[in-house]
Amino acid sequence: MNAADAPAPLLRVKDLTVEFRTMDGIVRAVDAVSFDIWPNETVGLVGESGCGKTVTGLSLLRLIPSPPGQIINGSIELEGLDLLSLDAGDMEKRRGSEIAMIFQEPMTSLNPVFTIGSQITEVLRRHRQLSQRQARELAASLLAKVSIPDAGRRLDDYPHQLSGGMRQRVMIAMALSCNPKLLVADEPTTALDVTTQAQVLDQMRELQNEFRMAVLLVTHDLGVVAETCQRALVMYCGSIVEAGKTEQLFSSPRHPYTAGLLASIPRIRAERIAELPVIPGRVPDPGNLPAGCRFAGRCSHVQSRCHQERPTLRSVNGNAVACHYPLGADI
Amino acid sequence: MNEFSSVAGARAVNRRNSIWRKVLRKFLADRTGVAGLAAVLVYFVAALGVWCGWWGTDWADLGGSKWEAVSAAHWFGTNIIGQDIFSRAIYATSTAFEVGVVVAVLATIIGGVLGAFAGFFAGSWIDELLLWAMNVLDAIPFYLFVAAVAYSLAGSPYAMHVAMITSFWIGTGRLVRGEVIKLRNMEYIEAAYAIGLSRFMIIFRHILPNTSHILLVQASIAFVSAIKAEVILSFLGIGIRDGMSWGLMIEESTKEVLAGFYNNFIAASLLMFGLVMAFNALSDALQDAMDPRKVA
Repeated sequence: MNAADAPAPLLRVKDLTVEFRTMDGIVRAVDAVSFDIWPNETVGLVGESGCGKTVTGLSLLRLIPSPPGQIINGSIELEGLDLLSLDAGDMEKRRGSEIAMIFQEPMTSLNPVFTIGSQITEVLRRHRQLSQRQARELAASLLAKVSIPDAGRRLDDYPHQLSGGMRQRVMIAMALSCNPKLLVADEPTTALDVTTQAQVLDQMRELQNEFRMAVLLVTHDLGVVAETCQRALVMYCGSIVEAGKTEQLFSSPRHPYTAGLLASIPRIRAERIAELPVIPGRVPDPGNLPAGCRFAGRCSHVQSRCHQERPTLRSVNGNAVACHYPLGADI
Repeated sequence: MNEFSSVAGARAVNRRNSIWRKVLRKFLADRTGVAGLAAVLVYFVAALGVWCGWWGTDWADLGGSKWEAVSAAHWFGTNIIGQDIFSRAIYATSTAFEVGVVVAVLATIIGGVLGAFAGFFAGSWIDELLLWAMNVLDAIPFYLFVAAVAYSLAGSPYAMHVAMITSFWIGTGRLVRGEVIKLRNMEYIEAAYAIGLSRFMIIFRHILPNTSHILLVQASIAFVSAIKAEVILSFLGIGIRDGMSWGLMIEESTKEVLAGFYNNFIAASLLMFGLVMAFNALSDALQDAMDPRKVA
């Protein structure tokens, strides 16, 4: 789809598999996930809690807490270089400079005992050889870029003196400070109220175009994905069940799970309905997954084949779908 | 250029409202704390004078006769062999300060760093090893430990310091370890990884500064405990050997109080009491003023 604009993807994730050792045995949080991200593209990674989307995001920076977590298979290639083959020191150099990450909780993502200025300059001085003074000037201009008023003065503020939205902007400024090629944003707006959410998202989009970076937006908020992402990946139980261009994915979902997710969003203009549709059942226990399709137990279109054979991703009318009987497909 | 000057100007404005200004304002409002600070400063100047050789040099001289009363020549009188008690008390102040500062600083640094490592690597062999060391050292009674260290160091003047540091870091270490176990799961630590910092840098740059409230309190407790322990150990004869200490003065006075001469005993006890009280008042006030959760 986007292969035409760029010769090679910026990020190529192949068969990424992450396992956690727990008291109840080994849990496979991410199971053979593959996807590409092209430069300057925004990709949404959606799914409900516990589906492995945050773990996928953290894996890209090799930040899985280990133990208990471990990437047991796959490759993560950034511009052709497999990040999983790097030693710890090389990886540290790339974190923050080539791949940056912002986190869900802006209230606790900044160190409370340092001024925000010292925290932004720390990134700059770590990855670029800048003097204290240059770093400070650059930090002030970064804060101004994320629309923090009176940026020069704000540098000497402590995190507790800023509101949640402002702190998230500071986090964004920090993440962008070294011109990363890829930004992993883990639920960046979940903790913010709706008006702030829109502002922060707008800001991210503007800065993305200015810095020409790619963004992987990890979220459970389909509205945010519809608004900001060119492509979306839907995860369920550790694997991608559907991937495609956002418009197409939203207008004609092929996987019953995607369709279920979309149907469960309340709509303002739709006629009154007695009850919001929900997906019945619960996510299966990750330590004890069914043999066939993992969604089979909750799917309204389930057939006997679904219980025996696990579907793999295949192309159906433009979307990639992991379903034996995709919706609206003429098979 | 213009942009930079606005940054610099803003910095100047902000400095006036910086966190340290707030700490100072809060501290100055605490009268007990300010009084404590003043008293500690007086003691400090007394000690400084001894280190610089300004006064207290005649502490070992036989400048008078036995048990002279308080006079202009001998402000606190003289002891059993005619030495000036005031000089000896002042000299002992420098001993107390030296022991207190050395032990407090080193025990806090060791406790902070080892505690942070134990907490950061909690559950791993590093933590197990450090906890084992803490438990073993904790199990030895303090005074027996000091005697053993003094003996094994063959009468070194620093045997007492070594023994105190080895026992005092443990409390700090345990407290810091607990705090760090909490801190290491904070999102800003995860964020610090995400900007490419190594674990070593994270421990020293991001985790230890967040335990500063514990370190400050523990250092002030160690300072006071070290002074008290020094007095007791010197009294028992396993502390200060070459020099003068309030403990040695009290030990001397055991031969005097029976004869009804209390000057030595009162001078040493009051000076020690004054320093310990003043320092406690100071550290209480500092704690209140500097608690990052209250300053805001």
